[in-house]
Amino acid sequence: MRLSEVNVEEIKMELANLKNKKSSQLSLVWKRFKSNRLALLGFVFVMIIIFIAIFAPFLTPYKPYATDPSNRLMGPSRTHLLGTDSLGRDVLTRLFYGSRIALQIGVLIILFEGFIGIMMGVLSGFFGGIIDSIIMRLVDILRSFPVIILAMAIAGIMGQGIYNVVIALGIVGWTTYARMVRSKILSIKEADYIEAGYSIGESTYSIITRYIVPNAIPTAIVMISIMMPTALIASATLSFLGLGVQPPIPSWGSMVAAGRNYLLQAPWISTSAGFFIMFTVLGFNFIGDGLRDALDPTTKH
Amino acid sequence: MSELLYIKDLKVYFNTEEGVVKALAGVNFEIVKGSFHGLIGETGCGKSVTGLSILKLLDNNALIEGGEIIYKDENLLDKTEKQMQKDFRGNEIAMIFQDPGSSLNPVFTIQDQIQESVKMYKKASKQEYRNIVIEELKKVKLPDVEGLLDKYPHQLSGGMKQRVMIAMMLACNPNLLIADEPTTALDVSIQAQFLQVLKNLKDKFDMTVLYITHDLAVVSEICDYVSVMYAGRIVENVPVRELFKNPVHPYSYKLVHSVLGVKTFLEDLEEIPGSVPRLIDPPSGCRFHPRCEEAIDICKTKVPQLKKIGKNHYVACHRR
Amino acid sequence: MSNRKKYWTNKIIRTIITAIGVTLIAFLILHLTPGDPARIMLGSYASEENLEAVREKYNLNEPLHIQYWAWVSSLAKGDLGTSIRYNRSVNTLIKNRIGPTLVLTLTGLIISVVLGVVMGILAALKRNSWLDYLTTVQAIFWISIPSFWLGILFLYIFGLQLRWVPIAGMVSYTSVILPALSLGLRQEAWFARPMRAEMLEVLNQEYIRAAKAKGLKYYIVVTKHALRNALIPIITMLALRLPWIIGGSVVIEVVFSWGGIGSLLVNSVKARDYPVVQAILLLISIAVVLANLFADIIYTWVDPRIRTEG
Repeated sequence: MRLSEVNVEEIKMELANLKNKKSSQLSLVWKRFKSNRLALLGFVFVMIIIFIAIFAPFLTPYKPYATDPSNRLMGPSRTHLLGTDSLGRDVLTRLFYGSRIALQIGVLIILFEGFIGIMMGVLSGFFGGIIDSIIMRLVDILRSFPVIILAMAIAGIMGQGIYNVVIALGIVGWTTYARMVRSKILSIKEADYIEAGYSIGESTYSIITRYIVPNAIPTAIVMISIMMPTALIASATLSFLGLGVQPPIPSWGSMVAAGRNYLLQAPWISTSAGFFIMFTVLGFNFIGDGLRDALDPTTKH
Repeated sequence: MSELLYIKDLKVYFNTEEGVVKALAGVNFEIVKGSFHGLIGETGCGKSVTGLSILKLLDNNALIEGGEIIYKDENLLDKTEKQMQKDFRGNEIAMIFQDPGSSLNPVFTIQDQIQESVKMYKKASKQEYRNIVIEELKKVKLPDVEGLLDKYPHQLSGGMKQRVMIAMMLACNPNLLIADEPTTALDVSIQAQFLQVLKNLKDKFDMTVLYITHDLAVVSEICDYVSVMYAGRIVENVPVRELFKNPVHPYSYKLVHSVLGVKTFLEDLEEIPGSVPRLIDPPSGCRFHPRCEEAIDICKTKVPQLKKIGKNHYVACHRR
Repeated sequence: MSNRKKYWTNKIIRTIITAIGVTLIAFLILHLTPGDPARIMLGSYASEENLEAVREKYNLNEPLHIQYWAWVSSLAKGDLGTSIRYNRSVNTLIKNRIGPTLVLTLTGLIISVVLGVVMGILAALKRNSWLDYLTTVQAIFWISIPSFWLGILFLYIFGLQLRWVPIAGMVSYTSVILPALSLGLRQEAWFARPMRAEMLEVLNQEYIRAAKAKGLKYYIVVTKHALRNALIPIITMLALRLPWIIGGSVVIEVVFSWGGIGSLLVNSVKARDYPVVQAILLLISIAVVLANLFADIIYTWVDPRIRTEG
């Protein structure tokens, strides 16, 4: 059946209205997010860590690898605000440089698992059938392993290093994205506006770029804010266990592990390194929490 | 003649994300003891809110702004939650809800849920409770009562669930039963049966019933008195015969005259232009004035008060 | 076939596929990187004779599918293999270590579920109060703290400074407190927030209003009518969180020198003792798969809407 011109005009109007409604919804979401004090606090936390990562060399007079055997395990003082470690290196300096490692690994993991996960999710959701079944079984299988345990085994085989940490965690991590993307695509596929778009002769490409992508963006943002904390903690855990980033590279996880041996003489090493992990993760979690509330206010107010 | 319940100038507001919704803006009526009292109005006019206010079971975002609800000489609005639970809910006033499907707890058996009502005032053995529950279920004319006891709500039909709901509430021995559109979710054929059961129970156990509905046909069938509600206010309190013989308020008039046509549900009325106003930003003065053909200037500025125009007959309109 | 039968047939087939997949992954992990598995196990300085001996012992010269079949067949007979490092049967190693791990994970699990459920309920009941706010913030707080660091903090404060509890190992009943708390507090958050949301959802249901309209006491409305409904989805949550609790216990075992499966696993990974690593990976994941199946069974059993379906 061919649609009359009037109908096409009507549907176009409807779609335009829908776009307006969407953007007003987005501004409502933004309003809610802005009024969430915790989310703003999280934003500040993350900004501070990013700032430290970028300007680390200017924030401290020391070098992260510069050892000083005469000043081993010194307590916090004016010259070393957070004391020194067992090789006499300035703890605060290493923590500052550690933010680079942490963020780098975090971002790489998100990109790696996000890329695989979104691809798999799209394949699964769009094509369904046997492809969907295979991918979803693979997801089931991988999710039967605790992330950290499988990652440990993989990192143990592949050897240590930043990239191996990323691969080891990404191999399990993509399943979360795949599931979320799949269900989102299934729900978008059902939506009226997709059908409306097709009915007035829009191409698949334009439907994907005009409707599906914009609709999936909020989900993607929430996903990142949810996955970042997991990535940060899991990578720190691997490093803590000695299976991730190796000393002397200043990663927070391995610093906690190193400080553990001097807990009685130099408690500041472990405690401050762990604090940096917590601070960063807390920042991302506050943001994620605020976003979730802003996008789905029914659970809160 | 004495009244069992007296509602005076009841105002209830809701805080919503879009603003304050003035759901009830002065509700006034009384329920005569032993009567079948109808509360009629369009969907969204505040009928259910009125019913829930009596039991003080409104949602958390509701605010009772003012007024009085006098039940047996006591103002329910002064009672604490604890007093309401102990002294009024169930044993004095009970309520059956629109959707029997969602009003019964899905994870407990029929017997369990009715037994709870009994347990509050009677200690008995397991077997005795079972017998009492069977009696209660028989009262509402349910078939195969014994077989129902261990069933779960989802295993029953809508009509059966609604009867179980009544049995559950009647097992509390209330004096006043509030029925909030209890037939909406039922098939038309079952509605008539249901109303008959309700009427018989009311007579047999000497109850008073507040029947909330938007169906004028039901009102004409079973009610003794009617309160007509429009956009959060009562526009006319009237004995049911009077309403059909001589509806005074322009809104009541249109209601009654539209019922003579094919369509009985207010939602479908085309004779009354416009729709129920949004209560977040209600019309000034008489809230019906934008839809009223007889409206004059004063209708737009001054809220009309209920005035007596006959025996048990009150109307709120500047033109009458 | 009835819907119910279909559902369960489907479910069991999926579980079997997952279980087979899990054995494949555990097996293939050693072959993940290019290179000689024997060399990975023995390190780069191993002599050719030793390498050959290991290859012989673990069938590494055979094609992969033969190796896999040999491994699975011995698994089926209950033989988990032989440790390279200890030169002992993996069965014995695991048998000696499983007790402490079960004690730790179960205690941690109980702490997390009980705390989480109680806090979630209170937060929902006192919605928008300071208690509700506190529940939200503490939940975010706990999930932001790496459990190994929490463990170290606890060790430092309660073990080294206050000397309330032993600092390491399993010397008395109090030994389990710190590790179980480090494990449980982090997981508690994952129960508190869903519980709160579930409870809020249930409290908004019409049947809660109806229960109140009957004149039921508030605590009966909450503990019977609301709780019973709100707890049902938590069962699924429990199964979902199980891998994380087990994963967390591995790290906690290392921090507290807890002689369980977890520390055995970490040591074996470091020592490249792959028969042990594979066996533990397999055991844990099969436990997770079974837990999921059980959760499903329990779920249908506690929810009469599903249970009574034809």
